[in-house]
Amino acid sequence: MKSRQFIALSCIVLLPAMAYAGAAQKPIIDSYLAAAKAENAAFSGFSAERGKSFFLAKHDASSETPSCTTCHTSDPTKAGQTRAGKDVAPMAVSKTPDRFTDAEKVEKWFTRNCQSVIGRACTAQEKGDFITFMASL
Amino acid sequence: MMESNYLNTKPSTIQVWDLGVRIFHWALLAAVIVAAMTGFFGSPDSLQIHLIAGVSISLLVLFRLIWGFSGSTYARFRTFLFSPDKVRGRIQEMLTGRHTRYLGHNPLGGWMIFALLACLTLIVCTGSVVLGGVFKQGPLAFVTSFATGRFVQEIHQIFAFGLVGLVGLHLAGVAYETVFGKEKLVSAMISGNKPDSSDVPAPPFARARPFVALIAFVVFGMAGTVGVASFAARPGLGVPTAAVDPLYAKECGACHFAYHPSMGTAALWDGILSHLDQHFGEDASLPEATRTKLVAYLKENSSEHWDTRVSHVLATANPKEPLRFTATRFWTRMHREIPDKAFASKAVGFKGACNACHSDAKTGLFAPQNIEIPEGARL
Repeated sequence: MKSRQFIALSCIVLLPAMAYAGAAQKPIIDSYLAAAKAENAAFSGFSAERGKSFFLAKHDASSETPSCTTCHTSDPTKAGQTRAGKDVAPMAVSKTPDRFTDAEKVEKWFTRNCQSVIGRACTAQEKGDFITFMASL
Repeated sequence: MMESNYLNTKPSTIQVWDLGVRIFHWALLAAVIVAAMTGFFGSPDSLQIHLIAGVSISLLVLFRLIWGFSGSTYARFRTFLFSPDKVRGRIQEMLTGRHTRYLGHNPLGGWMIFALLACLTLIVCTGSVVLGGVFKQGPLAFVTSFATGRFVQEIHQIFAFGLVGLVGLHLAGVAYETVFGKEKLVSAMISGNKPDSSDVPAPPFARARPFVALIAFVVFGMAGTVGVASFAARPGLGVPTAAVDPLYAKECGACHFAYHPSMGTAALWDGILSHLDQHFGEDASLPEATRTKLVAYLKENSSEHWDTRVSHVLATANPKEPLRFTATRFWTRMHREIPDKAFASKAVGFKGACNACHSDAKTGLFAPQNIEIPEGARL
């Protein structure tokens, strides 16, 4: 009884909040969802957990920018800094609500930064996981 | 009565240098020292102090020119404007070891004053040409090209060395008079007084007219200030005035300071925008439509279109790293005293963050007066 009540209460409180946090980002997530399904038939949905490990991972493509965290820092709720000294607003949607709302901008930066950091284009699943992680913070 | 008069053998003194001459002399010395120290040994941001010294010198020279016609006897130009014959005579005296006493300037000393005033006037005039052409500041900025400013800078320096030479001769003259003429010239320039002697021919007496001098100084000073200010308000020759294109500021300014287009040659901008996928170690690709627009904007406003200091000095690329402003010889020389740690500090970030210290970097002007090292980068 007690645990069921707790879950119900949690759903009532948290779901609208989660829906709110992701609402503005939904069109972009949906488009990556469609692309991810086309990429991989076994694809079963984005994961904030996978997004997190992707964000924190180190790569060998570049000694200057080995990881997302080089510029964004390992805490996405904090502001980062480009190697050229410009501030980068926090990636977490809770801190920067208009993140992942402009499809053109999102694609521009994934194109550039995946090339710079990983040395290849990112898959739709990686992009979707990344946004899902940032929207969950 | 007779006895007491006889015992009172202390020679009487006469005021030779009036207060105007004395204040002028020592104030000029101070201003010249400041101007020389900042000019010969200053760092890039010493310009403002150098300018204050230069303006002070020009006002002091203006005062002295007026005082030469309105001061007391020995301050007047006519009392020390000697004919070439007198100058020759004086030199012959010096060579034969004879000595005629002059209360004011002797014929050589008098010409030294005119030479110093002329040299100072030329230094001030050439200085304002340099200020106008090189820095695009001051009354001549609107008519002076960078090339003219650079050329006149050489002349300014030659006159500055000339002034050093004249000051050396002036001091040698003072030393000569002190040793061979037994004159206490330095203390005379402080107290104004020299021992009187009846065998020195007195020049025609002139009464000081401080009010006439003041009125003349105010009139000439005001006219000069108004003229200088109205000319200085005109836009500098070849100085960009439009704000940086918003698309350029947004796209390129997202990662780094949006360098003013006048900082790069058309070839540099072409080189940079042709390889955005390998942009100093990062991929900075742009949609082709955006890239084309930016190339057009940058080439239309590249350094060839302007006449500012950076448009000229940064145009000579370092062949090893032709696309990096911070690799140019000029950049390296101007920043040589700044430690790498200051550039790496959070307040600056890296060498290309011009606007971290140059508050007018976005205009492309880079005035030496607009440099301020941020707190976090001071080590």
